Amino acid sequence: MTQTGDHNEDDIVLVGEYALHLLDAASRLAFEERLLDDAGLRQLLREWDEGLVSLADGIAPVAPPPRLKGAIEARLFEAPVKRGFTFGALFGRRGVALGFVALIAVGILFSSNLLERPQGPTYLAEIAAEDRGLVVEARFDPAAGEIGINRIAGAAVTGRVLELWLIAEGAPGPVSLGVLPTSALAVVSVPEALRTAMIGGTLAISDEPLGGSPTGAPTGAVLAVGAVTSS
Amino acid sequence: MTTTSDIETYIVRTGLGDRTAFSSLYDATSAKLFGVCLRVLNNRAEAEDALQDVYVRIWQKANSYAVNGYSPMTWLITLARNLSIDRLRARKAPAKNIEDVLDLADSGPTPEAAAVQKSERAQIDGCLDELDTVHASAVRGAYLEGDTYQDLADRAGVPLNTMRTWLRRSLAKLKDCLSR
Repeated sequence: MTQTGDHNEDDIVLVGEYALHLLDAASRLAFEERLLDDAGLRQLLREWDEGLVSLADGIAPVAPPPRLKGAIEARLFEAPVKRGFTFGALFGRRGVALGFVALIAVGILFSSNLLERPQGPTYLAEIAAEDRGLVVEARFDPAAGEIGINRIAGAAVTGRVLELWLIAEGAPGPVSLGVLPTSALAVVSVPEALRTAMIGGTLAISDEPLGGSPTGAPTGAVLAVGAVTSS
Repeated sequence: MTTTSDIETYIVRTGLGDRTAFSSLYDATSAKLFGVCLRVLNNRAEAEDALQDVYVRIWQKANSYAVNGYSPMTWLITLARNLSIDRLRARKAPAKNIEDVLDLADSGPTPEAAAVQKSERAQIDGCLDELDTVHASAVRGAYLEGDTYQDLADRAGVPLNTMRTWLRRSLAKLKDCLSR
């Protein structure tokens, strides 16, 4: 099925040269100018790109170094990259006593109606501050890859947000699961790659600027922590 | 296992500013795209920088994805390849270690990529088979290694204009075959 009936052979070849990156800088720029105004040309380019992309099938995936992801997120979500972040540093540097971690409150929780999910096993955590100024119930459903959140005590201070973190067993540092909304009830989706790590992992909530941590690691005080246990 | 439609969803949600979806997209696709950057640049440090640029660009451009009509992996791979070639052109090309390049190619596609792309793959291969061998390998060289007309002419041992004429004629045939 050809879609290029409106185009002459010169354009067909020119778009092919562009797709292959064979044009010199000036011709490339001139072509991109045309592309902006010409939907037919864009369609032709799409056909070329779709046709050629299978040449990349033979390129084996290579896992990039783990630090790259944090570097990208730091570039995008502003502020400098923090390297060599460790579990100990997280709690130590923020002036939160390490003993705090030992006082993690773990409980079997009863879910609210919203959080009720009848099918499959679920995992629970009570993410609580030592003084219980902040208490959040979390119910993880591995099948759906979602955490139902019920914040039963405490809230973010004005102009700040609460950010949820997963500290997986043996992981070098916390991974953000996102900023919690201002509502008490919420559903947080867990990336596929992190779902296994949820089980037996630890959840933590930190105090962060609006929009969440700009660095990919907690920047404010860690307010509450809780282990994920099976229900 | 991440499917093509998962990846599509991640891109669309990334376009809405969903950082979790962006994170999932990175986890699902960064190894393939890093492979593409490495293949073109043949230099690990540069490929790492290129990969960062790629995901920054993905974040910025994902909101236009839904309307551009590309299949998700084509969009991602094309973006990774284009940025890598831009970077390649920005430096004076060092000699390539052809054995490294072959090593990367030899490991083959992941089973899922192979399954998704199988029919297309057969098509591009079939179409390249219809071309003169030298022309077909020029197309591969341009696509996979970012070769310029000059590189291709040097490799084939022909004048630049000859290579240009050959390849332009072959591209017309190739497009015709791909549209069949």
